[in-house]
Amino acid sequence: MDARLLMTVQVAVVGAQKIGAVPLGGRSIGRIGGGRFEGPRLRGRVLPEGGDWTLLRSDGILELDLRLTLETDDHALIDMWSFGLRHGPPDAIAALARGEVIDPSAYYFRTAPRFRTGHAKYAFLNRLIAVASGDRRPDGPIYTIHEIL
Amino acid sequence: MQTRPLMKLRLETGPTLDVGAAPEGTRVTFPIGGGSFDGDRLRGKVLPGGADWTVKRADGVMELDLRVTLETEDGALVYMTFAGIRDDGAPDAPYLRTISRFETADARYAFLNRLLAVGKGVIRTEGPEHALEEVL
Repeated sequence: MDARLLMTVQVAVVGAQKIGAVPLGGRSIGRIGGGRFEGPRLRGRVLPEGGDWTLLRSDGILELDLRLTLETDDHALIDMWSFGLRHGPPDAIAALARGEVIDPSAYYFRTAPRFRTGHAKYAFLNRLIAVASGDRRPDGPIYTIHEIL
Repeated sequence: MQTRPLMKLRLETGPTLDVGAAPEGTRVTFPIGGGSFDGDRLRGKVLPGGADWTVKRADGVMELDLRVTLETEDGALVYMTFAGIRDDGAPDAPYLRTISRFETADARYAFLNRLLAVGKGVIRTEGPEHALEEVL
């Protein structure tokens, strides 16, 4: 599938609210403290609101439901939300849980971000479908997002 | 971003249900009467009963929200959804792209539970055809 780089988004996760065993699985909410994003057509900061509502399913797969707000360097606000999946070999997932940096190709961490903005300069974001590859670092994930052409 | 082909999905759409001007936009539901899918790892038919619940937004882009049940040729049932957009104002219109997810209890197809797929659709006279690729 043809795609082109949209941006990388680096998110700082500042703690988790562990809800625990809910009917659908293990629920934990990662709070977002901020971050940066950078790409050929937009750059700026991740605002310190938002979170990642994660659910560990009974088959061991982690579902991610991320919501955050981007602020471009020229002050446009952009809603970003994404659904994703993370899973991998037990040793890779255990290393992530211990806060280790591991090669992101050792596990599957993919999301589908969507965007909404009222700012005309960035209206192209309202009209695209994108896919992200995640790299889980100890202080939060780095997403490399590609627009599907 | 790397992908590999998952399947070609052909949907047969019935007469639309024109719900009309809803708060979020113009809502049109496309019932799915059937269809077929085939790829290296799975093939079969689309069961009747699903639909694509679409909304045309104020900026002219149509939001897609599809739910269907697939039945593989060896009898597994797979619940499939996609969310996507159709932009008839795009340079290479329509820009018809989707993100699919799957749920199945059949162990032979459990790999579907673990992947996201991206789709590129075209509109044919008999209905839409989506080329779905697994996001690797």
